[in-house]
Amino acid sequence: MKKFLLPLLFLFLFLLESLFVQYIPPEIFGRNHILAPHFLFGGILFLAIYAGRKYGIIYAAIFGLLFDIVWIEIIGIYFFLFPFITYLISKIMHVLQTNIIVAFLVSLVGIALLEFGVYEMDFLLHITTLEFMSFMEMRFYPSLILNAAFLLIAAYPLKRHFESFAESLRDE
Amino acid sequence: MPQFFLNKRLIVLLVSIIVLVALIGFSLRERSKLSWPEQFLKDTAGWVQSLVSKPAHLVAGFFENLQDLQNTYEENKELKSRMEKLVSLEAQVQELEKDNKELRDILGEEETLRDFEPLQATVIGRNPDRWHEMIIINKGKTDGIKKNMAVVTAHGLIGKVKTVNQFNSTVQLLSAMDPKNRISAIVQGDTNVFGLVEGYDKEKKALLIKAIPSGVEIKKGQNVITSGLGGVFPQGLQIGKVIEVKPDQYGLNQTALVEPGADFYDLENIIVITRSMAQPKEEDMSGEGKEEDL
Repeated sequence: MKKFLLPLLFLFLFLLESLFVQYIPPEIFGRNHILAPHFLFGGILFLAIYAGRKYGIIYAAIFGLLFDIVWIEIIGIYFFLFPFITYLISKIMHVLQTNIIVAFLVSLVGIALLEFGVYEMDFLLHITTLEFMSFMEMRFYPSLILNAAFLLIAAYPLKRHFESFAESLRDE
Repeated sequence: MPQFFLNKRLIVLLVSIIVLVALIGFSLRERSKLSWPEQFLKDTAGWVQSLVSKPAHLVAGFFENLQDLQNTYEENKELKSRMEKLVSLEAQVQELEKDNKELRDILGEEETLRDFEPLQATVIGRNPDRWHEMIIINKGKTDGIKKNMAVVTAHGLIGKVKTVNQFNSTVQLLSAMDPKNRISAIVQGDTNVFGLVEGYDKEKKALLIKAIPSGVEIKKGQNVITSGLGGVFPQGLQIGKVIEVKPDQYGLNQTALVEPGADFYDLENIIVITRSMAQPKEEDMSGEGKEEDL
């Protein structure tokens, strides 16, 4: 039972993102802002920080691929960026000490990197023609605030869950 | 320097970048359908989504009902005033429809570009990435959905079917930036103006109708509908209203900005449109018709 808990949690986050964009009316934050939820990636970064790099990168690759196939239909964008940024973040965490505030801030940096990465890739592939400054105003800052709010709520439960997961790994 | 290249991490990075480019190239090329592992994954994911989306619909519906209750009184007043107009309009429509049918019988033309069959579907997911504006609906190949069918709500056109799986399909919204996404449209007026809807202005939230000759006069508030001449969509689906007209880069053409009638957010129940009139076969058309204009 415990073995399935982790994939189920990430599957829930995966679906939560879709439900969020479908049901949160855009008027709440003003029509001119685009809020992109990255709850799943926030969770993966916390996993990498608290349960070890290996698990973080495996989950990042699996869910990146799933994300690409189910939502984007262009395989490669998230399949590459998820593990790559997870790796970078876990490298950064080697230097810093692991406490919850640092984990929160570093995860936010990771989400910001993801947003930039996806923007650059989509710009190269002509999926968007949004200019950089309007991207920052319309999408980047609002999305970052949204994800910060989510991480603020979820940080402590995620930390506890992943720490107990890491402990059960060590016991085996 | 040789040590630098032997670095294991660097090799992994380079290899993964090559794989990335290959994968993106593979998925960007023109493909009529997805490979079977993708279809299988999408069908499985769609099944899970439909499980989750049902209770979510219920909860969202409950809150919507609460909101509706708040302005019931004012809405009721307005609706009543509209009712009276509607009755006379309905009588008019019936008469015109009868006229139209009689005239068509005389002409001996039975099928028109206008005829279509609607197919109800429910939205079970939406792309959270928000660059690629796509939704997933709960009807697929088994329900008779095919690629490129038009998708509408009660207020107007919202997009077209992008890919079809067995039990669900992906709809690309009009607000997505896709150069291949072109719809042949009519700006209704004293004389109809034809144009192609191509592109979406994210900041103004308007669709762009490009390549209208500069001599043609288009006014704000004119209605825009699909023309059906592209061969896939039926004629007469509402697209939106003109809000602005501006000359294009070189002054030879003008571009009309059209506010879409349908809301691209807050989608729940949608209708997939099957055109009744047969599509001309590819080989019947001249070689020029390579590009997909819907």
